[in-house]
Amino acid sequence: MNILPWDLSVIPQRFFLFTEAAGYTLQITFFGILFGLVIGLVAALGRLSKHNWISAICRAYIFLIRGTPLLVQLFIVYYGLTSVVTIAPIPSAIIALGVHNGAYIAEIFRGSIQSIDIGQMEAARSIGMPMGKAMQRIILPQAFKRAVPPLGNQLIIALKDSSLASTIAVPELMLKGRQMGSSSFMYMEMFIIVGIWYLIMTSLLSFVMHRIEQRLKVSDRE
Amino acid sequence: MTVSKETKKTDETILRIEHLVKRFGELEVLKDINLEVKRGEVVVIIGASGSGKSTLLRCVNFLEKAQKGKIYINEKRVKNSEKQLNKVRQELGMVFQHFNLFPHMTVIQNVMEGMVQVKKIPKDKARTYADQLLAQVGLEDKADVYPAMLSGGQKQRVAIARALAMEPKVMLFDEPTSALDPELVGEVLSVMTDLAKKGMTMLVVTHEMWFAKEVADRVIFMDEGIILEEAPPEVMFEAPKEERTLAFLKQVLPQ
Repeated sequence: MNILPWDLSVIPQRFFLFTEAAGYTLQITFFGILFGLVIGLVAALGRLSKHNWISAICRAYIFLIRGTPLLVQLFIVYYGLTSVVTIAPIPSAIIALGVHNGAYIAEIFRGSIQSIDIGQMEAARSIGMPMGKAMQRIILPQAFKRAVPPLGNQLIIALKDSSLASTIAVPELMLKGRQMGSSSFMYMEMFIIVGIWYLIMTSLLSFVMHRIEQRLKVSDRE
Repeated sequence: MTVSKETKKTDETILRIEHLVKRFGELEVLKDINLEVKRGEVVVIIGASGSGKSTLLRCVNFLEKAQKGKIYINEKRVKNSEKQLNKVRQELGMVFQHFNLFPHMTVIQNVMEGMVQVKKIPKDKARTYADQLLAQVGLEDKADVYPAMLSGGQKQRVAIARALAMEPKVMLFDEPTSALDPELVGEVLSVMTDLAKKGMTMLVVTHEMWFAKEVADRVIFMDEGIILEEAPPEVMFEAPKEERTLAFLKQVLPQ
C-alpha cells in the first residue's frame, strides 16, 4: 500500500458516509427523468403533429436544448430566473434535468413511433378507431417497447449528468466528494469512492433495464 | 373443388363510387372510376400491378384520400370528415396484404379490440362473439397466442375475424393471399368462400384467378387507372372483349 501516494484503506472506511449523498443523486435523477419522460412524450407527439405550428414549437425546443450544455440550462434555471422566481437547488436540478432529458427522450420516442409499420395505423383506423385512440392503444405500446433500450441509455447518461447539480449546491455525490476531499486532502480516495457509487448505480440501472426488456419480449417469437 | 353459386345478390346498392380520381403528385392513378356493388355481391378486381386496383380499394375506406369523386354507402354520401369516417370505416371491413395484426395483443385481443374500444361492447359479450368468429375461421384453439406464433395463413384468418368483428356491411380484401406461401393460400380462400356463401358483400383485389372464376359474381379488369372491362366471370374468362384483358389473362392463366 505504501508504494502508492494514497491511503486506499480509507475507501472502505468512508464509503458509507456517501450514502445520503447517493440518495440525493438518485432522487434528482429519478424525478428529472420522470419529468423528462412526460415532456419527451408530449414533444414527440407534438413534433409528429400535422399542425405545423405545434410541430415547429417542439422542433425549436429540441433544437435549443440539444444545442446548449446542461450546465448552462442548470444555471439559467437556478441563477437566471432569480429575478422572476427563486427555485431551491433540488427542484432547480430536477427541472433542468427534466427539460434537458426531455429533448433527447422526445427524439427517442419520435424515432420509435416512426419505426412502427404504417400498416398498424391503417389497421387501427380501418376498424374505426379515431387517431388518438389508435395512437394510445396500438402505436404507443409498440413504440414504448422499442424505446426501452435507448431510454436505458438516456437514464444512465442522466444519472451521471446529475453530478453537475453539485455546482448549484445540491448535496449529491459529486459535491460530497469535493467537500470530503477538501476537508481531508484525500481527493483521490474520495473521488474513487464517488466513482464507485456511480458505477454501482449505473450497473443496477443497466440490470433493471435489461430485465424490463426481457419481460416485454413475451409477444415476440423467441 | 367447385362452389355452388347460388347468388344472394339483391338489387339494393350498398356501395357506389362516382367519378373517382386519385393522383399521387403528377401521376393519375385512378381516372374517373364508376362502380356499383349490390348487397350480397362478390366483386373481384383483377389487373396488372400498378393498374390502380389496390388504390381504388384504399380510397373506398379513405385510407387514401381521392382528389375527386363521391362515395356512397347505402346511398349515403361519405364525407371526408374524421368523425364520419370513423363510423363509415366500421361498416367497411378491411383485410390487408400484410395482415397488420396488432403484435402486442393476443389473437383474441386482436379480434376484440374494435368491439371493446370502438363499439364499446362489454368485454364478456365481445369475448363470446370473438370466440365465435375464431371458430368460424377455424382458429378457436389459437385464442391466447400472440400473432408472432402464427403462420401467414393463420394470421390472415385472424385479420378476417378482426374485420368481421365490427359487423361490416362490405368486406374489402386487398390482395389477401399475395404475401402467403403457396400452400397457405387455400385456407384463406376457403374462409373467404364461406363468407361469400353466407351472403357477405365483398370487394376483392386478388391475383387468384381460381377465386375470381368460382366465387365472383362479377369480375372487373382494371388497366392504367380505368375500369376497362367488367363482366360475369364466365364471360370475362372465356370471351373478354378487350384486347388488353385478353393479353393480361393469357399471362396469368396457364393454358
